[in-house]
Amino acid sequence: MLPIDVAAHGSRWRRRHPLEKALLGLGLTVTAVCLPPWPGGPLVAAATLAVLLGPAGVAGRQLWRAFRIPLGFCFTGALPLLVAVGGPTGFVSLAPEGPRHAAELLLRTSAASLGVLLFAFTTPVSDVLPRLVRAGVPAPVVDVALVMYRIGFLLLDSMTQVRRAQAARLGHAGRAAVWRSLAGLAATSFVRAFDRAARLQDGLAGRGYDGALRVLVPETALSWRFLAASGALLAVLITLTLTLKGLYL
Amino acid sequence: MHIAEGFLPPLHAVAWGAASAPFVVHGVRALTREVKANPESTLLLGASGAFTFVLSALKIPSVTGSCSHPTGTGLGAILFRPPIMAVLGTITLLFQALLLAHGGLTTLGANVFSMAIAGPWAGYGVYLLLKRFDVPLMVTVFFGAFFADLVTYCVTSVQLALAFPDPGTGFAGALVKFGGIFAVTQIPLAVSEGLLTVLVMRLLMQSSRSDLVRLGVAKLTGRSGQEAAL
Repeated sequence: MLPIDVAAHGSRWRRRHPLEKALLGLGLTVTAVCLPPWPGGPLVAAATLAVLLGPAGVAGRQLWRAFRIPLGFCFTGALPLLVAVGGPTGFVSLAPEGPRHAAELLLRTSAASLGVLLFAFTTPVSDVLPRLVRAGVPAPVVDVALVMYRIGFLLLDSMTQVRRAQAARLGHAGRAAVWRSLAGLAATSFVRAFDRAARLQDGLAGRGYDGALRVLVPETALSWRFLAASGALLAVLITLTLTLKGLYL
Repeated sequence: MHIAEGFLPPLHAVAWGAASAPFVVHGVRALTREVKANPESTLLLGASGAFTFVLSALKIPSVTGSCSHPTGTGLGAILFRPPIMAVLGTITLLFQALLLAHGGLTTLGANVFSMAIAGPWAGYGVYLLLKRFDVPLMVTVFFGAFFADLVTYCVTSVQLALAFPDPGTGFAGALVKFGGIFAVTQIPLAVSEGLLTVLVMRLLMQSSRSDLVRLGVAKLTGRSGQEAAL
């Protein structure tokens, strides 16, 4: 399994209804995207961090490992905003408002990424997928997604093993060998994916498979207190941002 | 190229979501029809999606000396057809956003449009066009994967240029800026992905012809039942 999903399975909020966590985490993301980046970004990011490291109980190191990936993309993505192309100042020049736009983009993307991480770190994908049928997603699509989720991890493990075996056989020594190894790795993944599906098909056929993958979804009640607290937090963030923006900026 | 979470302004995020929706709905209908007709195809489609997901974990060397991962859109479109790829690509992008913090949920619509719709359709179109002119299979596969990759990045450049127009020259200047930055790395990467896809297809022709026949990429010909590539 991947580190975020492992953390989600052991999360303090694992037993909470996914809708509660979606309202909070994705609500924070949407708030970060819709509010003015200053002071909205830092306020939303601070509130999300407080929830992540406090009540949600996510380990700081795990969070940093996951957060540095989108943060890196945000940094590299913001760099082009620093320059302008064409115009009277030459083909490439520094954009007059570039640093401000880049900083605002960084604030917005950082805060929004933390909101998604809050949802991802507390909600295993396997808890979300079966419930999507109730949300109106066709059952066949959810079944395909469930199979993708299960087989995906097995394939990733297989790929790690194959890659290690290739390296041990000097499969990464030289450019030509790297290309051969990569092609072999992708082809092996394809073959193993279909082989796994065929074996799964045989196993399910023996248990009376009729086309629907039924999984047990633990019943969890919605906590109206949690929903109300989440709504209140979002309302406070919106009010605070707009007030500060109106007063000082 | 995944657009990161929160990168697009709200209106753009919603607009790209709306633009992607008809293609994804079309794909969902195609997938539902397929599963209803052949219940066992759920597992094959799931395996296909898992393969698409792990393709993004491959690191391919670039001519510029850096390393990147293939989009897999060309290979996916050739193997599974663009409507199915729209659904599998959407699920893959959702998993990448939630499990790898790669891409995002507010930018899902934009990423789906570039990687699960525009790229696959362009690649598949080139693949079909060349096949009609009896171009050898591996050449069609190369250009299918190359254009799928390239169109994905071109569409991403357009999306970013629309969201962040240049202060002096507007959309055109921003398109030159983002396109120019991508061109340095992405044209070599598109070539790399095309070559890798050819190597993968050659191996699959040797090891998994029956699966390729089932997917319609290869067919049985002649009385002896000997298989040949389409």
